[in-house]
Amino acid sequence: MNIAVAVKVVPDDQDITVAPDRSLDSSKAHQIASEYDLNAIEAAAQLAEAEGARLVAISASNAKAGDMKVRKSILSRGPEELLMIADDAYAFADSRTTAKALAKLVGDVEGGVDLVVCGDGSADMYAGQVNVQLASVLGVPCINSVTAMRMENGALVVERTLDDVVEEIEVALPAVVGVSPDIALPRIAGMREILAAGKKPATVNDAAAAGVDTNGTVEIDSVVAPELADRKREIFDTKNDGDLDAFIDAVAGVIR
Amino acid sequence: MKAFVIAEAAEAQKDLCAGARTLADEVVLVSIGDAPQTGVADKAYHIALPEGELYENATDTVIALFDEVAPEIVLVETTPRLKIVGGRLAAHADTSVINDVAAFDGDAAESLYFGGLATMKRRPAGSVRIYSTNGSMFSEAEASGTDAVEEREFVPASNPLKLRGKREVVQEGADIGRAPIVVGAGRGFAKEEDLDLARSLAAAVRGEIACSRPIAENEKWLPKSLYIGVSGRVISPKVYFAVGISGQMQHMVGVTGADTIIAINKDANAPVFKQADYGLVADLQEVLPVLTEKLA
Repeated sequence: MNIAVAVKVVPDDQDITVAPDRSLDSSKAHQIASEYDLNAIEAAAQLAEAEGARLVAISASNAKAGDMKVRKSILSRGPEELLMIADDAYAFADSRTTAKALAKLVGDVEGGVDLVVCGDGSADMYAGQVNVQLASVLGVPCINSVTAMRMENGALVVERTLDDVVEEIEVALPAVVGVSPDIALPRIAGMREILAAGKKPATVNDAAAAGVDTNGTVEIDSVVAPELADRKREIFDTKNDGDLDAFIDAVAGVIR
Repeated sequence: MKAFVIAEAAEAQKDLCAGARTLADEVVLVSIGDAPQTGVADKAYHIALPEGELYENATDTVIALFDEVAPEIVLVETTPRLKIVGGRLAAHADTSVINDVAAFDGDAAESLYFGGLATMKRRPAGSVRIYSTNGSMFSEAEASGTDAVEEREFVPASNPLKLRGKREVVQEGADIGRAPIVVGAGRGFAKEEDLDLARSLAAAVRGEIACSRPIAENEKWLPKSLYIGVSGRVISPKVYFAVGISGQMQHMVGVTGADTIIAINKDANAPVFKQADYGLVADLQEVLPVLTEKLA
């Protein structure tokens, strides 16, 4: 059995700065695997370990995503190999375009892929659509919000958790599943895993070399930081006499 | 111009139809499972689900209906189920869903980037435009329509998902979305017992307790339905108390709509004070009991 886990590499939002014209600058940001995708890697790694399956990570992300540190971060968490398209066309790509690139990588996996595991949504777009689009491109079933999964008689059985109901669903393979962060806590890779990750195979190409079409289905007009509501910013400090009472008076004034 | 609306909740069906009315001349509502709302669309289609059938397995039936109606605009409620139905429909129409639209600016749709770090304006490149939204931007719009409902037979999916069983989930925690006063607890709460201080304050001001992500996701001291911020809840209470919350953007975007923000943090340099109306630099263990007593 072969399992692929899809990972989006994004700039660390802690490092993104807002310019005076409210545009975003992520040029100095570290690249990291999107937060919830780490839970997806862990869930896929646990299933692969339980089934003796081979786990491959796939990614269509921005041009800096092929960075050694990011590769090690992904590969130290369980996948045996990484196949990546690193191209700025994927920094803001729509879900269909990203899914087509991932489908190409799925096709590149030796022996084919029985199951693709995706996170619930990426930190930047949080659309939760790449899994569905990928399933459509591959012509296979798809289910999302998965909080547990196991193999049973050649089919995948998932627990799917929505706000008001938990469903047990049998999914015929091959398939694509979107997993909720609840499914598994990401492991902390040790030095041994990180060193081993450096020796695992990783193939990183740009879109042209990978032979994928980056013509999108959605155009982006602008990305600007919101204007924050103007706040009063009256700050009191209990170190100063009378500040606590003044604060309590101010608070009492607004809650009444 | 025709608009297609696919929504689960009755309220969302009404809101999305009212919104679709502002974008198109003809509004067609599709409801899977439950009977559709009437009086909100020019025509409603009802796809009844056979007993034990999974909602998502109606996707092929919806796609057939989409081909028949041939709408230019599709509005889909943002729910996990409709992410699948809408995503499949988008793939069928060779486009992508523009997700979680919070406002329209002409043809451009506004959504959050990095959960609110920025606002993206996006537009579909092709002729069919598919948007997902929770409909709150349309809550003021008037829905109008007929009582015409046409039944559509469920067509079994070619490669169906098999529903083996299900159990209802009891909703944990209060609905913080409607509470006028919310007390949010963050990492400044070192022990689970300390949350009682926040609970007491919430009770004293007749508010509800909520939290930042780590309190729900990492510590699991409060249910996930109570966490505010990126990928959690976005609320607009009259008053928001940010207690022991540093003020990371990821949390604060969830309360930008609050009328008044009150911050309590022991670190005078915490970013939360830049986004607060009233701030108090204090140890929450010492000050919350005082505040609770005085405000009760």
